[in-house]
Amino acid sequence: MTEILVAKNVSKTYFDTVAKDDVVALSGISLSVQAHEFVSVIGPSGCGKSTFLRIVAGLDKPTSGEIFVSGKKVSGPGADRGMVFQEYALLPWKTTEANVEFGLRLKRVPKEKRAVATQRFIDLVGLRGFEKKYPHQLSGGMRQRAAVARVLANNPTVLLMDEPFAAVDAMTRQRLQEELTVITASERTTVLFITHAIEEAVFLSDRVVALSGRPGRIVADMRIDLPRPRQWEELVRDARFIRYRDELTQCIHASADAREEHV
Amino acid sequence: MSVVEVPAPEIKPPGVARRLWLAELVPFAVGILAWQTLSLLNVWPRVLFPSPYEVAQAFAADATSGVLLVNLSVSLRSLVLGFLVGSAIAIPLGYLMGLNRASRDFFDPLVNLLQAIPGLAWIPFAILWFGLGQGAVTFIIVMSVFFPVLHNLLTGIRMVQPVLIEAVQTLGAGRAAVIAHVIFPATLPNLMTGVRLGIAFGFRSLVGGEMIASTDGLGYAIFNAQQYFQSARIVVGMLAIGITWLVMDRLILRPIEQRTTMRWGLIRDGIDTK
Repeated sequence: MTEILVAKNVSKTYFDTVAKDDVVALSGISLSVQAHEFVSVIGPSGCGKSTFLRIVAGLDKPTSGEIFVSGKKVSGPGADRGMVFQEYALLPWKTTEANVEFGLRLKRVPKEKRAVATQRFIDLVGLRGFEKKYPHQLSGGMRQRAAVARVLANNPTVLLMDEPFAAVDAMTRQRLQEELTVITASERTTVLFITHAIEEAVFLSDRVVALSGRPGRIVADMRIDLPRPRQWEELVRDARFIRYRDELTQCIHASADAREEHV
Repeated sequence: MSVVEVPAPEIKPPGVARRLWLAELVPFAVGILAWQTLSLLNVWPRVLFPSPYEVAQAFAADATSGVLLVNLSVSLRSLVLGFLVGSAIAIPLGYLMGLNRASRDFFDPLVNLLQAIPGLAWIPFAILWFGLGQGAVTFIIVMSVFFPVLHNLLTGIRMVQPVLIEAVQTLGAGRAAVIAHVIFPATLPNLMTGVRLGIAFGFRSLVGGEMIASTDGLGYAIFNAQQYFQSARIVVGMLAIGITWLVMDRLILRPIEQRTTMRWGLIRDGIDTK
């Protein structure tokens, strides 16, 4: 197996302008993600999981440590690490189609080739018929589908997702999660997924990494051995799913308790 | 994949929602009616409060003699030229200041100092530098257009959502692409506000400037009519300015907004709560 993403001892300290003090957000995170692997990072709010993703994306700089993607050291944002944000972040002035083909346009992919790829990913996320709509004409779930298509069409080495389904309603969320597992399996996408929802992480992932409360440290790295394709209806009653979920829950709570005693 | 999801309620494109052309005339008809009623009450002497009929007569006279057209074209030329020069400086400077810290630190104090000075305060120098006439008028219009355009553009740049920039960066966008695909379109609503205010401020300076520094144009016509107690002609000049603005708004600014910021859902006509 090839290592796609390697984080070496990544730490992040920032200055809190309100508390007027240094805050250690992340402490010594080392992690590696294999090709085609779906890895979720979970943890309580404030544990620095989003900071970690932003460092991988190159949007934030680590205080110490390094990130390598396909052996290349990360020094800034790049098309090899496309990111899906909780707030969709589609360009309001571009139609679905124009948003999805945006990365390919930047790469100067010829028009015909671009159009074929764009349509393929619009179809893949189920947005056929909405190509000419602007983001404000789409529902939240549809916007997030478009955002996923936009990044996938750009063929990133690793797909980064920062709580992408936190803003959509519960029903839509479950459907989007099921669709995401189908898409990433068929496209053989390597995914690094951030969430605070343990069930979501177990449902989607091949591996779940749990961080403790601030400063975020890895307290569990669990392989999720559940057959694919996964569906909520079946999984919620699956004993293994429940066991994974409970173990991770305990793990996070234990780390939180330990921290409170420590304080 | 099955999509059962319901899209957000269709927001009618502004063009479709626009009221009938005739319906748009109703507010004006009501205004004229109220005006006529007031003048029929004979509360004030007619020289202080001309009736719509007198104004219409004066309008017809000025229109047929060609005076109105000459004044209008003189004023429009100064206004358009002043607006173009003012925004041609303000818009590049705005993006430079908004996107480059060093130039922001340098220009910001200067801009702030000059901002409070009304365009009309430049008249003495405008006359000394350009002589009496439309040159001086155009200069003060430039000074009046410049600041609202610059100020609103800077506000627009400050309001750009960082997540949009970050999103396109993770799609491979460099600085040039970020500016072209995020900053420019995102600042358009504020730029349009700046342009509207710029033109409005330009009109004020146009009229004031022509009253003092010129011998033609609509502002001069208003001033001149007052000298001869031709109050109906004052109103003709005032209405000519109002109508000019209305036409510019309907033929140029609104179509631009309907095709861009409104279409993108960045701004709407208003909030009509049920």
